[in-house]
Parts: sequence; structure tokens; C-alpha cells
Amino acid sequence: MNTIKHYFYLTSAVLSGSCLVVMTLLILAQIGARMLGVIIPSSEDFAGWLLSATIFFGLAYTFNSGGHIRVTILLSRLSGKTRFIVELFNLLIGLAICAYLAYYTAYTAYESYIYEDVTDTYLAVPLWIIQSPMALGSLFLTLAMSDGLVTALSGKIPGFAAQEEDALSVE
Amino acid sequence: MDITLTGIILVICMLLMLTSGIWVALTLTGVAIVGLQLIGNESIGLLLGTSSWGAVTGWSLTALPLFIWMGEILFRTSLSRDLFEGLSPLLSKFPGKLLHVNILSCGIFAAVSGSSAATAATIGRMTLPELSRRGYDDTMSIGTLAGSGTLGLLIPPSIILIVYGVSAEVSIARLFLAGVLPGALLIGLFMAFTTIWTLMQKRAGNSADEVQYTLKEKLFALRRLIPIALLISCVLGSIYQGIATPTEAAAFGVAGSLLLSVVMGSFTLTGFIDSVAGAVKNSCMLGLILVGAHFLTLAMGFIGIPNALAEWIASLGLSPIQLILCLTVFFVVMGCFLDGISVIVLTTSVVLPMVTQANIDLIWFGIFLVLVVEMSQITPPVGFNLFVIQALTGKNILYVAKAALPFFFMIALAIVLITAYPSIVLYLPTLMTS
Repeated sequence: MNTIKHYFYLTSAVLSGSCLVVMTLLILAQIGARMLGVIIPSSEDFAGWLLSATIFFGLAYTFNSGGHIRVTILLSRLSGKTRFIVELFNLLIGLAICAYLAYYTAYTAYESYIYEDVTDTYLAVPLWIIQSPMALGSLFLTLAMSDGLVTALSGKIPGFAAQEEDALSVE
Repeated sequence: MDITLTGIILVICMLLMLTSGIWVALTLTGVAIVGLQLIGNESIGLLLGTSSWGAVTGWSLTALPLFIWMGEILFRTSLSRDLFEGLSPLLSKFPGKLLHVNILSCGIFAAVSGSSAATAATIGRMTLPELSRRGYDDTMSIGTLAGSGTLGLLIPPSIILIVYGVSAEVSIARLFLAGVLPGALLIGLFMAFTTIWTLMQKRAGNSADEVQYTLKEKLFALRRLIPIALLISCVLGSIYQGIATPTEAAAFGVAGSLLLSVVMGSFTLTGFIDSVAGAVKNSCMLGLILVGAHFLTLAMGFIGIPNALAEWIASLGLSPIQLILCLTVFFVVMGCFLDGISVIVLTTSVVLPMVTQANIDLIWFGIFLVLVVEMSQITPPVGFNLFVIQALTGKNILYVAKAALPFFFMIALAIVLITAYPSIVLYLPTLMTS
């Protein structure tokens, strides 16, 4: 199970990182091409879509490494059972919101697919293709959130909480 | 339902979720869902889907992960050492000596990095041990670092200005220009305070008196500043001359910093992968907040709170100065508990119509907001720079906050100055139009 989790978060990080690198290369290529008098069609739009892929794909990895910020003033002053209950509450509400987000981002992509929407850019790309990273990434985040909830329920410290402690004590 | 009641319910809801420890981005989304539910909107989910898609696909927003990545790359080079060793000889005749190195290195590093915590951490790691070895007053070394670490927010490229520009729909290039003079003003104020303090106390830096530098050494030291000077002038210069958009300049910056790290011999594959991972983590954190903030702004528009607030403020007949004063107090209190980005996105989703209504320039307001956020970075209990320096020095957070207090007042003074003389902010952006 732990190996699966490891690869799951790794996938999230690798997908997101690759999109970031490709986006950078695309923008550099665009600058280079412009100097030579060539225009790469829709490169600005592609950069924007890669940005959304970068952000959504990486959400799960970021969550697990404690990257998403939250106010911990209260939590850090609690201990034992109270803390456990508050953390459980946070995870449950968080999971509900993530699941809602995942469902409706997927629905948005699905609708684009049904109506065969294409982008209004120079190169008309089917909208669902470029929207699917958003849906997938939100789903990843929901899975990561459930992982946190299950881990907390089984009495262990979830990945994000462990990282948060580290960030405060060492740096 | 009455709009005041809706507003009160939403504020309570948000406070509860935030203090309980629900992730900021999800809180924003959650509050927006509750708000739309209260007014009986029937297509909340569809709105969320389309708003999430719109939130993170903008061309100008692509500058954000790039500038973050650039900072992550430079963070892993020996740039901070170069800055320290290049600046120390030059400032050895100044009263306060190495304390100014703290301020100036932060200022210069801020010009290549967009975040305040990264600036404080990078520079502090290098300067703090050295300052304490040479017998400088601890309070003052920590104070100068905490204060000038916040420059990362104001001096372009600045992540927080990109976030503000995207949410308030203001040109990022102009915001970057607007940040230059206030940034310089702040450096000036910090250095002036340090000089006066040193002259009055005449005790800090005494032990560093032995270190003298010849003119030749000083000139030689300048050499170490060349790479970073080149990088800054390429990245920022291209934006200011209008040959590149902030995004293109950021991509240049990434390429330039990679080149720099190869030339300086600090490039490794692990370091490269770490820098990508670091960039992913920070960009995704900000990205999810933007998704939440975008949706909250949309929901707020439906509910009509921002407009109601704007009308209410207008009916009070406050002068712009009074309004600014109230907002400053409000933001400082808010900043005590929330981090800077959250303050910015909450502001843009609720307060902006009110600001426009009062005829306050949105570029000026952005810089004002960033200065207030800078103050909040060094106020307890939640001040990110305090956390960073606490981690670096092992000192208690209240001690760090007390050391930073004079610099808190310097930033407040800067706010007074830009309010009295708005052209400090607006002069450079107007040049761009001509």
C-alpha cells in the first residue's frame, strides 16, 4: 500500500513538473521564434493550458507534502483527543469540498466533450482534452485528502501533518 | 435573505473554517458554496467548474510559476555568498557596516526572487552566522533581516503583485514598475534607521572595525556582483523597456539562472529536480488559492456584498485618507492571523469595488496593499518571516518580533509617504504609457 501511495504522489509531482518544464520551453521557443520572424501558433494559449495542467496535476503532491497553507494557531495548541477531533473535522470538510470540486470540474470537461466544444483560439483544440488535467488533478487531490483521512483515522500521522511539523521545527 | 445577515453568516463561517485549520484555498471555495446556497443559486457546481477553468489559464498568470522556479534555482546557488562578499567591502565605511549588507543583499536578492520568506531564508543563512561571529548586536542583525526580508514582496518580480494583478485585472508590468521606487524608498528608510541607530549606540559593529579593505579589494569585490547584476538587468530591464511581457522575462530568468548555476559550478541534477519540485509545490499552493479566490469573487458578485459594502462606505462620506487609515488597521489585524496571499485574495474579492468607488488608483492600491502585507509578515502570531528567522536562529518568536518592530514602523512610515506623495508609486508607470 505504501509503495502505491509513494508512486501516486510521485506521479502527481512528475506530471506537474513536466508540464512546468514544457511550458517554460514553449515560452522560450516562442521568444526565439519571434526573433527569427516566425510565430508559433497559439503558443500563449498553450502556455496557459499547460499552466492549468501544472497546477492541477501537482495538487495531490503539494497536499501530501504539507504545501497547502492553513492557519495552525489553534491546532498547534491542542493535543491528544481534541486535536484529533478538530483534525478529523478539517479533513472531512476538506474532503467534501475537494470531492465537490472534482465532480464539477469533471462534469465541465464532460460537458465540453458532449457538446464537442472547441477553443476559440487560432488552433481550435477540443476543449475537453485541455480540461481533463483539471478534472484529473482535482480527483488526485480528493484521493490525497481521503488518504489523509484514512491515515488519521487509523491513528497515524498523515503525510501533510508530518511535513508541517518539520517545516516549523527545522527549515 | 437580507444581505447584511448573509454577510455576517459568511464571515462567521469563514472565521470558523480558517481557525479550525481547514486549508485556506478550500475555505474560500467552501464559503463561496455556502454563500451561493444562501441566495438560492441553482447552478453552483457548474459555476465552480467554469470558474476553476478560467482561474488558472491566463497568459499573464504563467509568469507566476516561472518566477517561483527562478527563485528556487537561485536559492540553490552560491549567490547569497557572492552578494555578501561583494557588498561587505563596499559598505565597510558606513556606520553600521555589515547590517547594511543584510539590507542591501535582501534588496538585491528580492529583485530576482518573488517571495519574502525565500529572501529572508537565503540571505539570513549566509549573513546571520557571520554577523554574530563579528560581534554585531543580535537584535539588530535579526531586525534588519526580518525587515528587509519583506522586500521580496515589493521589489519586482514579486509573486504577490502577480496574484494581485491577476485578481484585480491590473497590468502586471505596470505593477512591477510601480514597485520599484517604493522598494528603493524602503531600503533607504531601513538604511537610514540603521545608520542613526548605530551612531546613537556606537556599539554595534565595533569589533568589525579591524576589517579594512583596500581600494583594490573593493574593486575586486565588485566583480562578484556582476552575474546577479546581469541577471537583474536582463529580466527586469526587458520588462521595463517593453520588449518582453513579464511572462517572457520570467522564462528568460529561468534560463538565465540555470546558466548562472552552471557557470558558478553549483548545478547538479538533484538540485535541478529539487528546484522543479519546490516550484511545483509553491505554484500549486498558490494556484489552488487562486481557484478558490476566483470562485469566491464570482460568488460575492452574485450575492452583491462588495457593491453593498461600497455603497455603505460611500454613504459614510469618508475621505480617501480616512478610508485608507481604516483599511490599514483592518489589514494589519487580518494580517496577524492570515498570510499575505490570503489577505490579498480576500481583499480583491470583497473590497475592490469599494476602493474603485472611492476613486483610489488600483495600481497605487496594489502597492499600498503589499506594504501592509509586508508589515503583517513581521507581526506575531502569524508572520512568515518571523517563522523563517525563528527557524534560522532558534530564538523565540516574540524576541524576533521585537527585534523587527522598528522596521515595522519604517514600513508604516513608507505607507504614510506614499499616501502623501502618490507619485512615488505612480511616476514610473506613467512613463510607460508615453
